[in-house]
Amino acid sequence: MSPNPNHEPLGQSPRRAGMPRRTFLKGAGVALLLPRFESLGQVAEQPQRRMLTIVNHLSFYQPKLIPKADGAFEEAPPLLANLSDHFAHLKMYSGLNNPAVQNGFGHTPCVGILSGYYNKLHRKNRISIDQAVADQLGDETRFRSLVFQAGENLNFSQISWDQHGLPVHQIDSPRKIFNLLFQVNENEKQQQQILAEDRSILDAVLAQAKFMEKRLNATDREKMDEYLSSVRDAEKTVRKQAHWSGRPKPKVDYRLEDFDRKSVDDYVATLLDLAVLALETDSTRAVTVQIPFWEGFKEPELTGNYHDLSHHGQQKEKIEKLLKLEHGILKRISAALTTMKERKAGSTSLFDQTTTLLTASMGSANAHNFDDLPALVFDARMRSPGHRRRKDVPMSNLYLGLLQQFGAEQEHFGESNGAFDLLA
Amino acid sequence: MRRAWVFTLLVCALQGGGQAEPSLEAFFEQNCIECHGPEKQKGKVRLDLGVEELFANDDLPETVVAVLEAGEMPPEDAPQPEADSRKGALDLLAQRILANRPANPLKRLTRAEYRNTIYDLFGVDFDFTDLLPPDQVEHGFDKFGESHLMSPHQVVAYLRTARFVAERLLPETRPETRAWEFDVRHFHGSKNFATMGGGDYREGDDYVLTGFRPYRSNLHFSVDPESHEQFVIPAFGVYRLEVKARSEKSKEAEVIGINLGDGRHPTSFRNIRRIPMPHGSGGFTTELVLKAGDQLAFTFDSARVPGRSLEKKPHKGPTMRFSHVKVTGPLTEQWPSAAMEAVLPKRKMRPAALVDHIASLLTQRPLVGEDRKAFIEIARSQEKSGASMTATARSVLIALLTSPHFIYKSESPELTGVELAHRLSYFLWNSVPDAELLEAGRSGELAKDSSAQVERMLADAKTDRFVEDFTRQWLQLDKVDDFGPDVRVYKNVRRMTVDSMGREGGELFAHLLENDLSMECFIDSDFVMVNDRLARFYELPPVKGDGFVPVKLPEDSERGGLIAQAGFLKLTSTDFATSPIHRGSWILKNLYNEKIDPPADVVINEPDIRGATTIREAILKHQQEESCARCHSKIDPLGFALEYYDPVGRKRSEYRHVEELPAEEEETVFTKKIEFTVVPIEATMELPNGLEVRDLPTLKAALMADKERILRGIIGKLIGYGLGRDTTLADRPYIDAVYRASEARNYSLRAAIEAIVAHPEFGRK
Repeated sequence: MSPNPNHEPLGQSPRRAGMPRRTFLKGAGVALLLPRFESLGQVAEQPQRRMLTIVNHLSFYQPKLIPKADGAFEEAPPLLANLSDHFAHLKMYSGLNNPAVQNGFGHTPCVGILSGYYNKLHRKNRISIDQAVADQLGDETRFRSLVFQAGENLNFSQISWDQHGLPVHQIDSPRKIFNLLFQVNENEKQQQQILAEDRSILDAVLAQAKFMEKRLNATDREKMDEYLSSVRDAEKTVRKQAHWSGRPKPKVDYRLEDFDRKSVDDYVATLLDLAVLALETDSTRAVTVQIPFWEGFKEPELTGNYHDLSHHGQQKEKIEKLLKLEHGILKRISAALTTMKERKAGSTSLFDQTTTLLTASMGSANAHNFDDLPALVFDARMRSPGHRRRKDVPMSNLYLGLLQQFGAEQEHFGESNGAFDLLA
Repeated sequence: MRRAWVFTLLVCALQGGGQAEPSLEAFFEQNCIECHGPEKQKGKVRLDLGVEELFANDDLPETVVAVLEAGEMPPEDAPQPEADSRKGALDLLAQRILANRPANPLKRLTRAEYRNTIYDLFGVDFDFTDLLPPDQVEHGFDKFGESHLMSPHQVVAYLRTARFVAERLLPETRPETRAWEFDVRHFHGSKNFATMGGGDYREGDDYVLTGFRPYRSNLHFSVDPESHEQFVIPAFGVYRLEVKARSEKSKEAEVIGINLGDGRHPTSFRNIRRIPMPHGSGGFTTELVLKAGDQLAFTFDSARVPGRSLEKKPHKGPTMRFSHVKVTGPLTEQWPSAAMEAVLPKRKMRPAALVDHIASLLTQRPLVGEDRKAFIEIARSQEKSGASMTATARSVLIALLTSPHFIYKSESPELTGVELAHRLSYFLWNSVPDAELLEAGRSGELAKDSSAQVERMLADAKTDRFVEDFTRQWLQLDKVDDFGPDVRVYKNVRRMTVDSMGREGGELFAHLLENDLSMECFIDSDFVMVNDRLARFYELPPVKGDGFVPVKLPEDSERGGLIAQAGFLKLTSTDFATSPIHRGSWILKNLYNEKIDPPADVVINEPDIRGATTIREAILKHQQEESCARCHSKIDPLGFALEYYDPVGRKRSEYRHVEELPAEEEETVFTKKIEFTVVPIEATMELPNGLEVRDLPTLKAALMADKERILRGIIGKLIGYGLGRDTTLADRPYIDAVYRASEARNYSLRAAIEAIVAHPEFGRK
């Protein structure tokens, strides 16, 4: 068990080098055992677009992230320097605002980060950017999108919302993600039968719900509408499952070792490995990753957990520890982007086909503010990379620009009042 | 909502705002809109847009009433409206609020309700943890229809759950009962080589659990003695476990945990039962509902955990020795099973009859008119395809369990007799009504006089579910162990002690309910409910066994009441530090039923108040900020008075600030050391009403003096739980009536519950 050459353990203690920590797939890393895209009949001419969204709820310590000046990255602050391998393809925005996501307590408004909208009273949302892009990317893959939960059962980590403003299922453990993507299904025949029966059952409950709805008052009818649209979508899901259950899942040479659930570094690395694998195997074309932040989430060698340290109260000592964690997270993200550059998908690299958005749902987790947001966009087609300060401009302008890049024709998204030209 | 907007609400500076005006607009104009008008909108509140606009907002009118009543707005330093004028405005607001009955949106079954319902209908105790998503609770209770989101994923989860239930209730063939026996040859534990015998080990005919590594130590077993492959439950059903085990080097009762999960990766364990082992016990027999794929493992839950430090010494403390385990199942006492007979009372049933039968079995209501069609179609097409009667019934059951007919609770504007029986039953039993309650509902007797049914229901063991479900959510007792006590700091706080802390609140509630005692005991009491471990923890006379009993407190004890419970004190703390703010706001939210949130426009830059020398200064700084002071002048004194109780709820006389030192290596072992600094406590503060509180007894005295508001708060919580919606100011007359009924019986909790059910409002949607 040799340590990953690209991986420096956090809070590095030379004594720990060589301690078994987690077996990494490294360097060449993941080998695909099946021919990659041929089986799906993909032609190299018009490379497929993909989207990777990464949200770090606790944000980053911005004084060490944001360059002082606009323009090319000349003197990168230390946190940003972790991403220097990708500066040629990076446009970084700072100071963005999320004007419709102000009301609420603690982390709750974070649920609106990708929608640029959050209605606390009705606990309803609008479609989030990752899902809007997924809609553009079509439905040809096994999963329309994959969204990873930030840890277990944190309801304010529900950031993905469908076109009805209803929550998209987020998967809460790397094991479940892995099984979903790659585990072989044993009793296929029976599965097919069940799916057929599921469809007729959903038809029946839909019919009942429609009759029942007529007898309800206005408030209850709204509730029943949620049920109706959920059943319709569940039906689509079942139909699609029936289609895919007849096809084998891709095989990968990746072993999900027992990583340390409590280690920020291990957990983030595992999530990003799975995200890249999901895109590489064309299991989905839109992946959303959240950096976990629940109370037990920490780094074994560092006193204090991640969430706690993010409330640093401007104490120097705490900020230093927090920065160690943030350096680690950004190194992992940089490594994932490098991996994507190394992996070929048809005639171009996975990175060439993927737009990556890295953002945060708060400006500073210490202040719990929902403005002054950073957003980093990585795209191989980037013409003039660099930093752009956009004080108080709605984040939704970036989302709208992104969506237009993916071919959407709409003129509004969330609370947008314009659209960024992302690739300029 | 949110009292908290209160912080910055309604600053007014207009002079001479004294005359009583007949309209709200005029009152706001005179007193409020300088700060909450076109120019400034402090707290993001605007009051110049007219009364209709104000009432279009769900929470704002309540906030306005709350701050006006409490005299929080206009702020102290601004000119105040005259008493008459203030009262006039309040009356106008009250009229409007009372005229608007709060909506009670359609509710679906919670996971707990679903489980209990299936159990009461079919006699099988399913565990739906892995099948149904947990219910979201943002505030209040998971029973609130307002917070019930529906999503495609939720629908699919209902469908999967329904299939799981139906396939197991209605199997095609009688499952074969088998038995497996395991002894020391098949047993495995968690060895710990680094500590030279500190882990679990084999000895003679026994396998010995030490609990030395608390998150690892466990006993699991394999069918083949040569292999480490853990025994897997082959099929769903009820299994009997007969276990021979005994404690050693122990003079007291111990506890064995039964867990599901892979014994080699015990961090993923899910505890499904705790078995108390009285002193001298030689083992136990129990029955569990298990499903295919489940793996069993036993843990020694009451082990004296010496901590995670990996010192090299053999284990000296008590151990649990296992010698034999027998697993028998799935057990079938009769065939066809009771559940099968309930679903399919006749061998042959026509599609329509089958659908009508299952529909009313599930909800005691018929499916009306066209609602039946699609289900009958399912039965008919199954019949046509030559499926067995069991398979047909299974499909219909799956469909009905997934349908709104079952998932949603039906409530007419004026509840029908059956609907009333359901509401009462989901309140006090957290499940479907039984035949007698339904009959009382149908006959109209329940609506006329509910007292006989309430008395009967409260005498039934099913009431435990209400007590557990209500107190867990009300008091947040499930959070007691969110931060494990750090064993390096809290050396004598063991896992089972923490477990007992999480049960104390519910036990107190149950005791008051059962013995018709006063709700004042939630504030203070001369007894506490304790078991063996908690009695020792509180330094009370010894109590035997794991069960809770009332123990009279000695004169000098400060315990008694919810806020003196270690569970509350612990759940409001982190692993090393107490949080006065968390404790104070817990009291306001859960005892006073106040809704507090930070204000909308305030950047929270929470000063670090942990440990160190600056706690008090930091808090005082907090209070100096005008926007914070409004609430924190209420929160902080409540929390600070409790500073003489440490993060695990023990009395302390000074702060011990804990600093973890960097890990040090000793040969192959890492030990993290900690360093303590001692800081004096200053807890004295003044409540907004001028009363000084300086410690737990003075705080309890202050709360007792304010008992009417607190008891109303608790009644509000109960009503909210029973009705499945948040209470608002419009519920004041309801809360008043319940409060008076309870007051007449020495503030009896039982009387309050009876009055909640007897009130006409309980019979409305």
